[in-house]
Amino acid sequence: MSENFIRFQKVTKDYGTVRVVENLDLDIARGEFVSLLGPSGSGKTTLLMMLAGFESVSGGAIILDGHKINDLPTHRRDMGVVFQNYALFPHMTIAKNVAFPLEMRGIPKAEVAGRVKKALDMVQLGALTDRLPGQLSGGQQQRVALARALVFEPRVVLMDEPLGALDKQLREQMQLDIRDLHHRLGLTIIFVTHDQDEALTMSDRIAVFNHGQIQQCASPREVYDHPSNRFVAEFIGETNLLEGTVSAVQGEVITLELPGGTAFRSHGMPGFAAGDKALLSLRPERIDLFSEGAAPEGSNCLSGEVTDTVYQGDHLRVVVETGAGRIIARINRKASEWANGARVTLGFRAQDGWVIAP
Amino acid sequence: MKYAKAIYASLIVFFLLAPLLVILPLAFTSSAFLTYPIPAFSTRWFEELVVNSVWSRAIVNSLLIAAATTVLATVLGTLAALGLRSQELGMKSQIRTLFLLPMVVPAVVLGVGMQSLFVRFGFNSTYWSVIFAHTVVAMPFVVISVSGALTGIDRRVERAALSLGAPPWKVFGLVTLPLAMPGVLSGAALAFATSLDEVVLTLFVAGPNQRTLARQMFSTLRENISPAIAAAAFIIIVGTVVIALVLMLARRKRA
Amino acid sequence: MTGSSRFRSSGFRALILIAPLLVFLGLFFVWPLITVITQAVSDPAVSRVLPQTAAAIGDWDGEGVPAPEIQAAFRADIAANTDDQAMGDVTRRLNSSKSGFRSLMGKTVSAVRENPDIDLAEVDKRWADTAFWKAIQDNASPYTDAFLLASLDMERDSAGSITSMKEGTSANFAILMRTLWTSALVTLSCLIIGLPYAMIAASVSGWKRAVLLGAVLLPLWTSLLVRTAAWMIILQDNGIINQSLMGLGVIKEPLVLIYNRFGVVLAMTHVLLPFMVLPIYSVLITVPGNLMSAAASLGAHPVRAFLRVLLPLSLRGVISGALLVFMASIGYYITPALLGGAADQMISSVIADYSIKSANWSMAAAIGLILLVLTLALYAVYNRLSRDPIQAR
Repeated sequence: MSENFIRFQKVTKDYGTVRVVENLDLDIARGEFVSLLGPSGSGKTTLLMMLAGFESVSGGAIILDGHKINDLPTHRRDMGVVFQNYALFPHMTIAKNVAFPLEMRGIPKAEVAGRVKKALDMVQLGALTDRLPGQLSGGQQQRVALARALVFEPRVVLMDEPLGALDKQLREQMQLDIRDLHHRLGLTIIFVTHDQDEALTMSDRIAVFNHGQIQQCASPREVYDHPSNRFVAEFIGETNLLEGTVSAVQGEVITLELPGGTAFRSHGMPGFAAGDKALLSLRPERIDLFSEGAAPEGSNCLSGEVTDTVYQGDHLRVVVETGAGRIIARINRKASEWANGARVTLGFRAQDGWVIAP
Repeated sequence: MKYAKAIYASLIVFFLLAPLLVILPLAFTSSAFLTYPIPAFSTRWFEELVVNSVWSRAIVNSLLIAAATTVLATVLGTLAALGLRSQELGMKSQIRTLFLLPMVVPAVVLGVGMQSLFVRFGFNSTYWSVIFAHTVVAMPFVVISVSGALTGIDRRVERAALSLGAPPWKVFGLVTLPLAMPGVLSGAALAFATSLDEVVLTLFVAGPNQRTLARQMFSTLRENISPAIAAAAFIIIVGTVVIALVLMLARRKRA
Repeated sequence: MTGSSRFRSSGFRALILIAPLLVFLGLFFVWPLITVITQAVSDPAVSRVLPQTAAAIGDWDGEGVPAPEIQAAFRADIAANTDDQAMGDVTRRLNSSKSGFRSLMGKTVSAVRENPDIDLAEVDKRWADTAFWKAIQDNASPYTDAFLLASLDMERDSAGSITSMKEGTSANFAILMRTLWTSALVTLSCLIIGLPYAMIAASVSGWKRAVLLGAVLLPLWTSLLVRTAAWMIILQDNGIINQSLMGLGVIKEPLVLIYNRFGVVLAMTHVLLPFMVLPIYSVLITVPGNLMSAAASLGAHPVRAFLRVLLPLSLRGVISGALLVFMASIGYYITPALLGGAADQMISSVIADYSIKSANWSMAAAIGLILLVLTLALYAVYNRLSRDPIQAR
């Protein structure tokens, strides 16, 4: 397994005077599933389009398997692309669609038929070979698009929000299917999405995009638990952000003083020194609620008053007004509930918080 | 109120269709006059079209010129419509307007200009002068109709073909052109019909040897109105309907 | 975020694709129109035969007689000319500006041919008259507004100022006005027939709508010539209408329905109705169907609801349709030529007659230029309206 199968080196893309991708570096290993996640306009799709060869590269280099491919035409890149709207050929049958890349490669007819059948069986559509795309449901069309992108065993599979047009249930099913194919066939997949759940579910690594730059690229767990900056912390999942000043750093534990005088001990990004301004990111589900004063020894405590409780089915969201501001906690249904106006203490352990730069 | 609407609409539909209904049966009259009632049915006027060399020559000329016009207008118009699709083409809306302008400019004015220009180069009263003149006014229909078909094509479908290994010329041949084909065909049909019906420019740029069916009908209508007109009209209408049906079938098949 | 360029050369490739049509239109559309424009304003008859005179006399101040050099240029031109017919044209042209040139030029040409250095005043004392030189100066320019003025029944008098031609000498302006008036009538009748029709078509659905639209579209695709011929058959003296009315005993003599304004307007309305109905229909179809019900529920009488709600909403379609119909009408040739009498001919017929019958391309071009400018101005308005949609009301 070559570690740097695909390399983006200082890649830049300009549209006129607008820079949509800026000095971007990213290495992707063979067999890896990398999601490009970010708000629309953050440059993630543009990066994918440059990798596929649909967009020219304004600066920097894209290297595939040791060769610079900036100027390699799309049809010679050998990448399977799956589009959000499927982009099936409306005038060709399903079988013809899937056979297309094989015919383009001059593969003998006898072999084509067999491989088309195998690819369609793989996505459970073996029975629909003679239909036209227009006669299929959205989910079926996306499976055909998947089969078409995989049948020629491309070096890389690129997916541009492939599940965006499907309804929730179908989308979750397809997520699992794609993950399964990834494991089974050992594919290298680059997957563009703006849906964080999708990215968390499927990826080996997530590259979080904003303003044409990668804010953080790491495993889903790392991105969620240890966001590298405020954008990532806020973009992925829900979080409470508390402002304060670093008063001490001991190993991996940072002590943060809040304006009200409260001090918290929390893990966080490296490189902080006493006196630095900082933010504490506190995920709602990492907070425990206790009756006032009942918090266990050794954990961080903050007292406040319950102002609202929102029922969410499998959990409750409790809004607590504290001296450090409004904090949202998420508690499971087995924990005790509080009435509005109740005085409570919020508690969390050092490893449940994360300190980032403001 | 409801009845008033129905009656009004029916009257206007009648007004719109009556002329066509009136002229068609007269193609089969045995009389020498274009009047009702029809004394007896006969095909003598169709025979006249075939036997009378003035008419038969005009029909052949029309078919020749219309066929050449269709090919020329369809090729030029389709290429241009493809070019107009690019987002990187400067002055796109101005170029588009220029392409549609021949539909707007009064035919008589264009005819005067063509005649005096062609005469200057000794090019007037030739088949090519007529074909080129017809192509100018037939081409906008091709541009409009092919552009319409092209905007219906999702660019991502073409990108998908590229990514699947098809070089650009194959993408064009296997994806873009087949998908735009209904537009190309209806553009071609409109170009053919336009050429068949063109009178004004023909008056200016055609000589006696390029007399077309429409031109012949026009002078016959001016001089001695004869049922041969109705027979010619019948041929033109039937031709148009046949083309329209073929197009509809082609489209049906695609859908 | 799907971007714009597939390849860096995409703009260049697009240019290659449209280039054949651009070249073709340049040769067979733009060039003919430029020919019309130049022909309408150029008058090379004098400047071609007397090139040195034309170049020299421009500087003359118009007082007394021109300097000897100018007179020498004039003599040289005459001596150099070998085309008697062209000289005849020049003489005619000059004579129409100042009578007396016919005899003067004849005399002068033969004198100068004998002695190229002869003093012109000795040949004829009229060469000492400022007015004759002035006429040459006036006609020497290769450009003229005479044709454009003549197409509006105007001319320049001997003093050079623009005046109307004498009554009865030219009818171009009257025909232009007639063209505009007939076109206005056609537009109005298309509007009166087409607006309610479009509203009904937009208010029904299913097969009814298909029939109503089909009835509009079918004539659009059938030959214009065939439709005009059909109207000739219907409207002629022993046509269907007259025969039925006489058969019913309503009238004794056939009504004159053809070769008059009525026939022209009726047939043109039939031909151009689709251009009125379709734009109105396409605007109305975007109006929510329950709008009239909403107005009614708010207490508006149906007539009031129509005036206050539906009519303003359809206004954009009405304006587009009216512009289209009017624009097409003013350039119409075939229908007035076949269905109109001598007093119903429109401006296009005049142009065609000048061009085809009398080969007077300058006049054809001048009137054509006026028609062209009028049409393009209307088209510019139409284009503007259809490009940035104005809010109804």
